[in-house]
Amino acid sequence: MNGPVLLIVLPLLTAFLLPIIYRLMPLAGRLTGPLILVVTSIIGLTQLQHLGDDTLAIAMGGFPPPLGISLYIDRLALAFALAVTLGTLLLWPKASGDNPDSRPGSLSLILAGAGCGLALSGDLFNVYVFYELVAVATYGLVAGRGTTAACTASVRYLIISGFGAAMALIGIALIYNATGTLNLAHLAELAPSRLNNGQGLAAFVLLLIGFGVKAELFPVNTWVPEVYATASSRLTALLAGVVSKLALLIVLRLLVLLFPQPEAHLLMLVLGILGVVSGELAAWRARDLNRLLAYSSIGQLGIMFIAFSMPGQAAILAGLAVALHHLIAKPALFLLAERWGGSVQGLSGAAENSPVAAVLFILLSLSLIGVPPFPSFWAKLLVLLELARQAQPLYFLGAAVILAGAALEANYLFRVVSRLYTPDAAQPVPEPQRLPELARAGMLGAVLVASIFVISPINNQLEQLADQASDTQRYISTVNPRVTP
Amino acid sequence: MIIPDSNTLLLIAALGLILIGIGGMVLSLHLLRIIFGLALLESGANLLLILATYSDRSVAPIIVGGKIPAHMADPIPQALVLTAIVIGVAVLALALSLALRIQRAYGTLDVRELRARLDQDIAAEAGINLPHSQDAPRSPAVVNAPGGAS
Amino acid sequence: MRRLSSLLFLAGLVTLIIAIFQPLPVGTATPAVGTAINHAAPEQVGAANLVTAVVLAYRGFDTLLELTILFTAAMAAGWVLDKPRNEARPDPDAGFILLAASDLLFPLLLILGLYVILHGHLTPGGGFQGGVVLALAFFLPLLARPGRRIDHQLFSLVEGLAGAAFIGIGLAAMLNGQAFLAPLFGTGELGALFSAGSLPLLYIAVGLKVGSELAGLLAHLAETEAVG
Repeated sequence: MNGPVLLIVLPLLTAFLLPIIYRLMPLAGRLTGPLILVVTSIIGLTQLQHLGDDTLAIAMGGFPPPLGISLYIDRLALAFALAVTLGTLLLWPKASGDNPDSRPGSLSLILAGAGCGLALSGDLFNVYVFYELVAVATYGLVAGRGTTAACTASVRYLIISGFGAAMALIGIALIYNATGTLNLAHLAELAPSRLNNGQGLAAFVLLLIGFGVKAELFPVNTWVPEVYATASSRLTALLAGVVSKLALLIVLRLLVLLFPQPEAHLLMLVLGILGVVSGELAAWRARDLNRLLAYSSIGQLGIMFIAFSMPGQAAILAGLAVALHHLIAKPALFLLAERWGGSVQGLSGAAENSPVAAVLFILLSLSLIGVPPFPSFWAKLLVLLELARQAQPLYFLGAAVILAGAALEANYLFRVVSRLYTPDAAQPVPEPQRLPELARAGMLGAVLVASIFVISPINNQLEQLADQASDTQRYISTVNPRVTP
Repeated sequence: MIIPDSNTLLLIAALGLILIGIGGMVLSLHLLRIIFGLALLESGANLLLILATYSDRSVAPIIVGGKIPAHMADPIPQALVLTAIVIGVAVLALALSLALRIQRAYGTLDVRELRARLDQDIAAEAGINLPHSQDAPRSPAVVNAPGGAS
Repeated sequence: MRRLSSLLFLAGLVTLIIAIFQPLPVGTATPAVGTAINHAAPEQVGAANLVTAVVLAYRGFDTLLELTILFTAAMAAGWVLDKPRNEARPDPDAGFILLAASDLLFPLLLILGLYVILHGHLTPGGGFQGGVVLALAFFLPLLARPGRRIDHQLFSLVEGLAGAAFIGIGLAAMLNGQAFLAPLFGTGELGALFSAGSLPLLYIAVGLKVGSELAGLLAHLAETEAVG
């Protein structure tokens, strides 16, 4: 019954003890982190299997909600928690070689545990604290790389994220003033009567600014290109792939449970459109691969915001499909960018030295653009179909923007591809891809290709997830908040 | 002059802190001032959180001598603000450490110069030449950096 | 141009905030959950300080995460500031007043800090507040004699073990069949030092962790190479 709690607590406990383990036995220290993540992933998988179609609420400390904090476990939450643990495991920071340092391991474990917490939590302030924990772990991991550029990018990220966090706190103050509770299920019950007004909308805007920082929402995404360009490629892959989706999940939950007002949806739509436009245009103009991929990431997340801005289960399904695809494709691209992250000009003829990587890059580019038979084609198609079904004319603009974005993506990604295959006599060919990065990227690419053949089962699974996610009544009845016992 | 009641005064204080904080963050050109602005903003937000269920006739929620007082204040915002303050301290400490490190390496904490140096460093690592105007004078940071002047 | 846009942004924000907060009912909101906790806490948790009951029992999970944030930030700051100052040129010792005062205040601060920590469930205070006082107790001698080396290993050991102890107490409740971080050992007599079950133990862990973390962080900041 308490299993999901271990998903959060086990990595945190190990993070506390890791410096001590390293002091006693450095070799054991190097292995402990990934080992614990393997154990946590196994626990997550068994929980997922155990859960079946049910939803579960766990009261922390034995105090029933809304007096205490409760966790809400449904398939969507467990799926994201699993994505976090597996992602951190796959993208575990490289060992620094001579000097055994427990810090990257500790920080990565904290990132994993906090990510699981974000996915599983059912209390508004608890979500805020988990979000801050993810943020601080990220600041540390980005800056820890050592270069001053990384520290500068990290402090810029910190300032923007700190501003967002303060905004979110003000939003929480507004919500608490209006309703007197922090439990998400209790808030969902009270929302139609207490939050369906100006105060509620203001709270939504503030929370959107706060949680949107990590979800690379326009306009609080100015930190993205610098951080992605200066952080290590594995960390960038983790941030772009997993962490941004976690923040998006939080925004989705808040939108579905607390703010069903049409103004809230419209705001998400507008910001999503602006995100797609700004991201894709900036990516088109970018001259180095790291920032090109970073801006492209902003654009893709804009598509997800547009998808989630539509009410209903089908829209959530479409958004989840795009998110799932991006979660696999983008980290693979960033892993390839470890060697190739420099200027696009300098990539001339790189395919000579790393033919496999070049083919992989082509596959991933096709997938990102949304070419059939890749799953992203089906995902973007779902989004476009759902957009066409809406009454508001602004949604058509969203559809047009997504299509134009795909065209731009095709242009700039294939510009890179043609560079890879055109050797330039004046420039040295970049070195071949390193095996660990290539292997990881290859694994993710293989998953992507394999998913082409199982799109129908994936569709069914995602439908179940979207069903549960959009079912507010079920959420409330599972948690069953009672102020007086 | 009419003095507004205590509730409104507190609200004005909280909003004032928030606005001063935001103003400081947006208008400052020195990294440390921006960090101080963030600290003020967080203080204002914490005060606002307490004000959410504030009542001026309520007593501290502490049971002294076995007697439970009537009208105890709401303990939840106090616990929330406790957490928020600690989070703020942690972030502030990390921000100052980063600022210290940046000052040591780049020699400046002026936000514009930091921007320029960061772009330079990223471009240098990537192997791109930054575009610069042939006519406009370059900023000192670019001219004095290695390989900057032509 | 930049100033203008910033001012415009600020003006817009001001109007927005004034518009939001016009009808904000400060002073009239009735907290449903807070009142329920005030009623239930004395029997359920047994702590005389109801804020402690919320911090450690009802929202104990948040406190665990808060500790983790502090741990993460201290670790990250230590990692960023990794270059200790040049050994050959330590700062000179402080003047007589600071030297004497630090020697005098060290035991007093320790006592005050431990007192605040141990009485967290009875009077205002607790692990965080007492932990900060403890950190200052260890930092004051460092200010007085900057040349003295601080043992970071010890701090790191204490903070790791204290954090693990907090989680351990929570897991012990889980092994006992209850939920994670459920209070143990019954509630005891309201107002006594040994009341509120495992809450004082949790606060001791918190206090030690916060104290060692902040002391280590301050020491790192003090030891880092001179700026400029």
